[in-house]
Amino acid sequence: MRTLEYLGDPIMRGLFLPGIVTGVAIAIVCACLAVLVVLKRMSFIGQGVSHAAFGGMGVAAVLGLTGASLSAAQAVGQFSIILSFCLAAAMIVAWMSARRGTSADTAIGIVLVAAMTLGAILMHAAFKRQGSQGPGWESVLFGAILSVGWSDAIVAAIVSLAILVVLWWERRKLIFWAFDETSAPAFGAPPRSPRIVLMVLLCLSIVTAMKLAGVVLATAVLVLPGATALAMSKRLSHVIAISVGAALVSLVIGLVASMELDWPPGACIVGAMTLLYALARLAGLAREGGMAGARAEA
Amino acid sequence: MNQPPATTPHEHTLEYRGVSFASPGVEAPALSSISLAVHAGERLGILGPNGGGKSTLLKLTLGLLDLQAGEIRVCGRSPREARREGMVGYVPQKVDAELAFPLSVRQVVTMPLVVNLAPWKRVPGETLRRADEALSMVGASDLAERPIGALSGGQLQRVMIARAIAPRPRLLLLDEPTVGIDVAGQRRFAELLQSLRERLGVTIVVVSHDIRTIAAGCDRVACLARTLHFHDAPSGLSPQVLGEVFRHDIAEVFGDVHVDAHAAATCHVDAGDHAHHHCCDHHGAPPPAGVTLNVSAKAAGAAAPDHKEPPRANA
Repeated sequence: MRTLEYLGDPIMRGLFLPGIVTGVAIAIVCACLAVLVVLKRMSFIGQGVSHAAFGGMGVAAVLGLTGASLSAAQAVGQFSIILSFCLAAAMIVAWMSARRGTSADTAIGIVLVAAMTLGAILMHAAFKRQGSQGPGWESVLFGAILSVGWSDAIVAAIVSLAILVVLWWERRKLIFWAFDETSAPAFGAPPRSPRIVLMVLLCLSIVTAMKLAGVVLATAVLVLPGATALAMSKRLSHVIAISVGAALVSLVIGLVASMELDWPPGACIVGAMTLLYALARLAGLAREGGMAGARAEA
Repeated sequence: MNQPPATTPHEHTLEYRGVSFASPGVEAPALSSISLAVHAGERLGILGPNGGGKSTLLKLTLGLLDLQAGEIRVCGRSPREARREGMVGYVPQKVDAELAFPLSVRQVVTMPLVVNLAPWKRVPGETLRRADEALSMVGASDLAERPIGALSGGQLQRVMIARAIAPRPRLLLLDEPTVGIDVAGQRRFAELLQSLRERLGVTIVVVSHDIRTIAAGCDRVACLARTLHFHDAPSGLSPQVLGEVFRHDIAEVFGDVHVDAHAAATCHVDAGDHAHHHCCDHHGAPPPAGVTLNVSAKAAGAAAPDHKEPPRANA
C-alpha cells in the first residue's frame, strides 16, 4: 500500500499533511454550502465564479504570487487577489442579469470565458517573463495536493472556520430566503442580504477549494455532496450531516486512490463524490421500486 | 413575535392616504391617489383586473416598495415597521417556494417566528406550540410532520395561511388566494377566513380579480383599476362598476363593451349591515358598450355565488 508508506515516511507526510488539512476544511464547508447551492439551483453561478478565479490567478502570477513556496503574507495576498476577482465576477454577473436583454445564464457564460481568457494571457505573460514553465495546466485546472503548503493550509482552515461561523449565524435567514425568496421579506426577513452573504461565502469557499480541487473541480465540490444527501433524506439536519459525511468519505477515497494510482487528487476526490452520488440515486430508485412493489402487493 | 395590542373596534388597521406609485421608467402610474381606511376586524376585498395595481398596492402595504406620494399606515406604523414587528401576515398568490427543500410543514410554519431570533438562542417550545396552533386553526394539524413538497395544492395553501397567521398578525393580506381552486374549495376557503377572523379578530384584506373570491364573505369591496372605485359593501358591485373596472379586460376579449341595464337589476348582493359610500364617482363614466354583463352575486356570509355564472374578469 503506497498510502501507508507515504504516511509512514516523515518527509512524504510533511508534503501531504497540509493538503489533507485543507481537504478536510474544504470538504466540511463545501458540503454545507452544497445543500443551499443545489436547492437554489446556483451551481452554474459557482462555475462562473470558479473560472473567474482563474483570472485572479493570472493577476497573482503577474505579481509573482504563485507556486508552492509562498510565505504566509504572500499566501494571504494571493488569496485576496483571487477572492477579489471572484467577487467582482459575481457582481458583474448580478449587474448584467439585472438589465433587460441579458439572462443570468448568458451573463455567467460571458464572464466565465472572459475571466479564463484573461487568466490564460496573464499567466502566459508572467511565466514567460520568469522564464519558467509555471504550475502547469493540469494542476491549475484539476488541483495538486503537493502544491498546498502550510501557509495555504492555515489560510484554508481559518477561512473555512469563518465560513462555518457565518453560516451558523445566518442560518435562519438563509434557510427562509433559500426556501421562499419571494415571500420571506414579507415576514421580516432581509430581502437582499442573504443572497449577498451566500455569494461571498461561495466565492470564499471556491478560492479555498481551488488549490486542492483546481478551477474546474472546485464547483463540483459545491454540488455533489449536497445532491447526494438530498437524494438520501428529506430532513434538513440529516441532509447537512449526510452531505458532510459524503464529502469526507470522498476525500479519503479520493486521496487514497490518488496515492495508490498516482492520479490527480482533485479528479480522484470528485470522482469518488460522483460515485457516491450515483450510489445514492441507485439506492433511492431501488427504494422507490421496493415501495411501489409493496403497494402493488397490498 | 409581538402579541397584538388591544384595539377598539373602529380603529383603522390599515390606512391609505393619497397613495400614488409609478414603476421606474414607466410613464403611466400603476396607482393613482388611493385613499382608503380599513377598520380593525374588517374583511375587505380588493377587486380589480390584472395589471390594475393590486400587487403593487400589496407590496407597498408590506413595505417592499417605497412610496412615491401619499402615506400608508399599518396599525399606526409605517409598513416597514409593521412588517418587522410581525403585525402583517401575507399569503402569496403563487407559491414560489423551493418545494424540494427538505423541510417539514411545521418547520415552514415556524420560519416567520424564528427568522429574527438571536442566532445563539434555541427555538422556544412556546414558538413551536404557536406554529402547531396555527396549523390547527387551518385544519392542517395532521400535516405537521409531512415534507413540504408532499402536499396537494389545497393543503399547501392552508399551510401558507398557517405560516401567515403564526406570528398572530393584526392584518392578513391574501393575494389572489383562490386562483386554480374549484368552487367547493373556494367555499371552504371563505369559511376558513371567516373562522380565522372570529378566532383571531384579524383584519383581512383579500386581493383578487375574481368576483367570487371577493363577494364571498367580504364586508366591503374596493374596486381597483389604477385608481379606486370604492364601495362600502359588495351590494355596490353593479354591472356598471364592474364594466368600468374591467373595461380593458372585457374590451380585449369582446371588443366594444355594453352593460345591460336589466343586468343591473338582477345584481343582488347581500352582505348584511352596510352603507354605500363612494370614494370616487364611477357612475359619472359612461358604461362600456357591446357586451352584456349579467351579474348576479350573492355574498351572504361565506357562500359562493349560488346562481348564474358571474363574469370572470380575466376570461
